[in-house]
Amino acid sequence: MRRIILMHIFLVGLYGQRLWSGTGTSILENGRNNIGLTSPFLMGVSGGEISINKFLLMPNVSYKYPITRFGEWQRTVRYQVAYPTMALRWFQSPLGMKLGEPDMFALISPEFHIPQMLSFYGELIGSTGSNEAGFVTVYGGIGIGLGGEKLDSRTSIDLPGFYPRFSIYHNGILIKAGGGYLRQFKERWSYTMDYDMFIMPGGEGRYAFEHLGFLIWTKSNRFRLLFGYKLIAGEYPYGSQAHLLPLVDVQFGW
Amino acid sequence: MIIKHSSKHGSILLLGFMLFSCDPLVHEFNDIEEAIMYRANSITEAAAKDTIKVMTWNIRFGVARLSFFGDGCGDRVILKKSEVYEGLEGLAEKIKLENPDILLLQEVDVQSKKTGYIDQAQWLLDNTDLNYGAYASMWESQVILADGLGRVNTGNLVLSKWKLVNAERYQLALRGDQDGLTQYFYLRRNVIKAKVDMPGKPFYAVNTHLTAFATDDTKQKHIDGFKAILDGILAEGESFVAGGDLNEIPPNSSKLDYCLEDQCEGESYHSGGESEHKEGAYFAPEIMWLNPLYKTYKPAIPLNEYGAYETMHFTHSPDDKLTLDRKLDYLWTNTGWLGGKTHPEATSLSDHIPVSAKWVVK
Repeated sequence: MRRIILMHIFLVGLYGQRLWSGTGTSILENGRNNIGLTSPFLMGVSGGEISINKFLLMPNVSYKYPITRFGEWQRTVRYQVAYPTMALRWFQSPLGMKLGEPDMFALISPEFHIPQMLSFYGELIGSTGSNEAGFVTVYGGIGIGLGGEKLDSRTSIDLPGFYPRFSIYHNGILIKAGGGYLRQFKERWSYTMDYDMFIMPGGEGRYAFEHLGFLIWTKSNRFRLLFGYKLIAGEYPYGSQAHLLPLVDVQFGW
Repeated sequence: MIIKHSSKHGSILLLGFMLFSCDPLVHEFNDIEEAIMYRANSITEAAAKDTIKVMTWNIRFGVARLSFFGDGCGDRVILKKSEVYEGLEGLAEKIKLENPDILLLQEVDVQSKKTGYIDQAQWLLDNTDLNYGAYASMWESQVILADGLGRVNTGNLVLSKWKLVNAERYQLALRGDQDGLTQYFYLRRNVIKAKVDMPGKPFYAVNTHLTAFATDDTKQKHIDGFKAILDGILAEGESFVAGGDLNEIPPNSSKLDYCLEDQCEGESYHSGGESEHKEGAYFAPEIMWLNPLYKTYKPAIPLNEYGAYETMHFTHSPDDKLTLDRKLDYLWTNTGWLGGKTHPEATSLSDHIPVSAKWVVK
């Protein structure tokens, strides 16, 4: 019976897409929610899934829903809208200090005006595979940023993770593509490897590659632990650099 | 399933980045390290000389007299590339006019967000008649988490017409009056020493930039550290030209308190008889600290010359104030100078002006 329950957690969680979700073609079942230490709040709704960024200064909402299958490929579409202005202004003075006080933890100089901006992003995601062989995902998407023409290029945050994600407001466009692989190898254990490519046309840094490896321990349909690393190699306004970062996430579902 | 976690984990990237990135967040430096070597894109070989011209100059990151917040009362942090190039062009023009054989520069940015990530060491080599360079960073961090400064790499640079060899960076004491976190992210002052491989007559060039704002005895340690390196060259029986921004005034200076000159809007010093002094503006307790250098080595501007014509030898004024009001920049040798010169005509090109002198090669 225990084995059946665990298989249910994984089959549904991995591919049936009802208990754990948030990425790829997976979609939470209607009424189920997920939240993680470092991952957004996910809500299963009728016909799709809503994702909401927990960082309230950076409102970011996405909606994902399935579309028709293509052969062996299950497909979903995801649309996202984000409003970065409050967050970028907060980065100018996280502790409310003024220039030189010192303005500790400021990532953007307070001398610059951050205009009102929005971004829209859409992507097509396809997944295929089996529980025995693992699951493969590929995706591609494009985003546009609005209002960034008044944003000074010197406000860029030239750090891994930040630079490619905020580039859409400086360049007006962002192209993303990537893929991944996920496989369960023990009753409670699975792993995932993925690869993301950011193409930033018109930017001083033109590309970023991110590779992620996660080991996932699923205790139940209410709790799972993810730990691994992220390798980021990219081009920044100062040149190219690679960073290896540890990642941990604790996720809860109900 | 799936796999795309990329947009979900940005919030912890910075923390992870701070703790575990491939390169350290802050370069802490060993006591002695090899300097970073540079070479001009186009080399014009220079013949050996009997007399060479040496110049020292704190170039203020190539931003001339722009209102920069970090060293004065300004409100600018991240400057435009065009502004920096304009500043560098002014510096290069003056350098070409003076035509030094050895140039000791301080506050040279090689990869700083605040100056558009321009490699000023390479730019100056490519836009002057100097051929070789040796660089020692005094502040190298992937990010400074304050005021939006971002990435920083700035330091001291020796430029030469002849090849530089055995160039080394010597770490000086960290400020002793800061908490551990501030100290970790703060400047790491150094001395850079390089052997100038002039055919037949090699000699050493030594460059430094000492602490400006320490309120304890850190500056005394820096002066001692600088002198110890010069003493070491002397002990080897070699000769040197040395210099830099010592952030110290001569022992016979007529004025010791610059709190009022340096105070920014909203600050107040001494107006109500307060005894508190602005950091880096009150020299009375340290006025004798340069005496060992004056007693042991030859300055380009001797003390009696300075005492007689003090205002002509001022080398600094803060911010955009164009009236020079103190001497902080020096040239030294263990042999002798033919004559030293302070260059007030360059006042608009940096918050320091150059000091130059002719040196007879022994």
